[in-house]
Amino acid sequence: MSQREPAAELGLLDATMIGMGAMIGAGIFVLTGLAAEISGPAAILVFVLNGVVTAFTGLCYAELASSIPKSGGGYAFVREIFDDLPSFVMGWMLWFAYMIAGALYALGFAPNFLEFLHVYGFVPPPGEVGAVTLGVLPVGIPAKVALAFAAVLLLVTVNALSTAASGSIETIFTATKVTILLVFVAFGFLSAGSGGETSFTFQNFDPLFQEGKGAFSILPAMGLTFIAFEGYDLITTVTEEVENPRENIPKAIFFSLAVTVLVYILVVTVAIGTLGAGGLAENGEAGIAVAATSFMPENLPVIKNGGAIIVFGAIFSTITALNAVVIASSRVAFAMGREDQLPTSVGNIHHRYGTPFVAILTSAVVMLMSVGLPTKSAGNMSSLFFLLSFIIVNGAVIKLRRERPDMNRPYEIPYYPIPPLMGILLNLVLTVVLVDYLLRTDPLALVLSVAWILLGVVFYFAYFRETGEEAPGEPTTATTTDQTGPEGAGETTGGND
Amino acid sequence: MPQKRIAIAGGGRVGRRAANLLDDRGHDVVVIEDDPEQVGLLEEEHVATVISGDATRPSILSQVGLDRVDSLAALTDETGTNLAICMTAAHLRPNLRTVMRSEYDVGDEYDGMVDEVVFTEAAGARAAVNLIERDVQTLESVTGDLDILQIEVVEGAPVAGRTLEEVSLPRGSLVVSGADGDHTARSDTRLEVGETYIVAVEPAVANEVVNLFQT
Repeated sequence: MSQREPAAELGLLDATMIGMGAMIGAGIFVLTGLAAEISGPAAILVFVLNGVVTAFTGLCYAELASSIPKSGGGYAFVREIFDDLPSFVMGWMLWFAYMIAGALYALGFAPNFLEFLHVYGFVPPPGEVGAVTLGVLPVGIPAKVALAFAAVLLLVTVNALSTAASGSIETIFTATKVTILLVFVAFGFLSAGSGGETSFTFQNFDPLFQEGKGAFSILPAMGLTFIAFEGYDLITTVTEEVENPRENIPKAIFFSLAVTVLVYILVVTVAIGTLGAGGLAENGEAGIAVAATSFMPENLPVIKNGGAIIVFGAIFSTITALNAVVIASSRVAFAMGREDQLPTSVGNIHHRYGTPFVAILTSAVVMLMSVGLPTKSAGNMSSLFFLLSFIIVNGAVIKLRRERPDMNRPYEIPYYPIPPLMGILLNLVLTVVLVDYLLRTDPLALVLSVAWILLGVVFYFAYFRETGEEAPGEPTTATTTDQTGPEGAGETTGGND
Repeated sequence: MPQKRIAIAGGGRVGRRAANLLDDRGHDVVVIEDDPEQVGLLEEEHVATVISGDATRPSILSQVGLDRVDSLAALTDETGTNLAICMTAAHLRPNLRTVMRSEYDVGDEYDGMVDEVVFTEAAGARAAVNLIERDVQTLESVTGDLDILQIEVVEGAPVAGRTLEEVSLPRGSLVVSGADGDHTARSDTRLEVGETYIVAVEPAVANEVVNLFQT
């Protein structure tokens, strides 16, 4: 009988870093270029205002996490007070948000990785890399998609086989990312006044809003980049491993949010100030990396081109953020399995690896299928689903205050009920703007989003008609475990292994 | 294992300890406690959602979400209060399983009113006797923090039908006996569905072990 180490306890620093690690990654490296395309230099405002919008929901998470000791992110809180169907839909949406975020991060990883190879002359510039042809398949797969697919596959395998990739190693990862970004910011500002084509100058911010567009033109960009601000949910998927959670979780939520927004503001200021909004937009997912290559010193020993550090930062950030959401998506599914809202086997840990094996594999299937999506659609969809989930979490705060007034709340939202109401209102505005934007520019993302929700509702009624014959609340686990579908059955009857 | 939701009325020494043990096994616990000082201690441990108030009042009791609770345990230090809580809860939510703590050995006096009665003082006295007269000791008090669990392997559990060699239990856990209870477990001991095994676990990994045995 071999033994494994149990999961380690996380301190305030670790918890803060988990939140930052999830946010700093795709948001800043992948979506800055896309935000600049939509809103020009006002992309800087996009990140500032999103920080404000998300702070209201952050307050709600702090109150909920300090009073409800469960690990399952927003889903666990909603499950606490809402009925079966709304909590199922919430979990279903949050799960999807993480899975699509996984695809987004993988798709952000790929072009940056190609850029990295390009810097060292292994491959032609990213735009010119051809398709990978597989012997078995008659069609060629674009290199970007193949790379993204491989990245997801690698991290899913690692997390399915071992619990070591989670926890305090995240602290080192996040510290590395932030350091690299600060190097980027420092060199960016230093380039001011050097007279080069891409030296930092505030003239790049004038005019702030693109010609012919008003201040409201930044709203779709806010919706698109909202994904870059969801880290506090990830903190609350690990509450049970945090030491002194009553104090550390609200603090970790606020610190991670504050530091992240500050880092974003600095990075976006430098990116626009050097490359200009137009140049940033042209380079899409690799925008920050290209900006860096333009002003970082060259001819350094070993690494040669200083820009390569930033490109490496982009690769590292997207891959660690991918790791974080692989874990997060499986935790949401695992929590749903434990609550009997998904088949019981999803809520089981593996008998040998100690990981939520089925939850990870199920999430992996959706992630792998989603890497075929355009990056922008993946960003739009995951932002949309986080927005929708957060509206429900804000609602859960209000519902709990009304129905459980005497619940002990170690952290109470100041000026209640303004923050949750503002959270609902602002998230709703962004949702409406995003849906409207998708109707015009990205109907595929909208169709897939609606399809996922419908699939969930169909699954819910099919699954609960099959297993939920017993009176609600009656703990007759025997009936539910018997019919948990293909994964649960079959394995136990053999016994010949 | 589909998680159970358990309400505990009374978050004093007994209630708090019970909440910790249930949390270790992966259950979802709600504690009702009136005394701010005790609420503070519960808050620090962060193992249960806490409702602050008098559990005999229906308006407080219903805030645990009675319709989703699997069992309610009234563990305050007053038998009368505990009885009132159990009966109020059963009135609010018929068929709720109730466990009442008693100060005295009440025998079967309350059968029909509550499902189980626990005489915690007797358990405490037994522990004391174990220390006074050290030659013979009952199992439950000899182990410090280590829990000796009797766990049944349920159908569909991750370890069901596998030998100990094939499974990998978390560090801090040890399967002590085989299914027949006559032999110690060995690496080729098979964990059969429906059989019960004695497993020693440290609190930190109890949750994981229970999940592995009970789906």
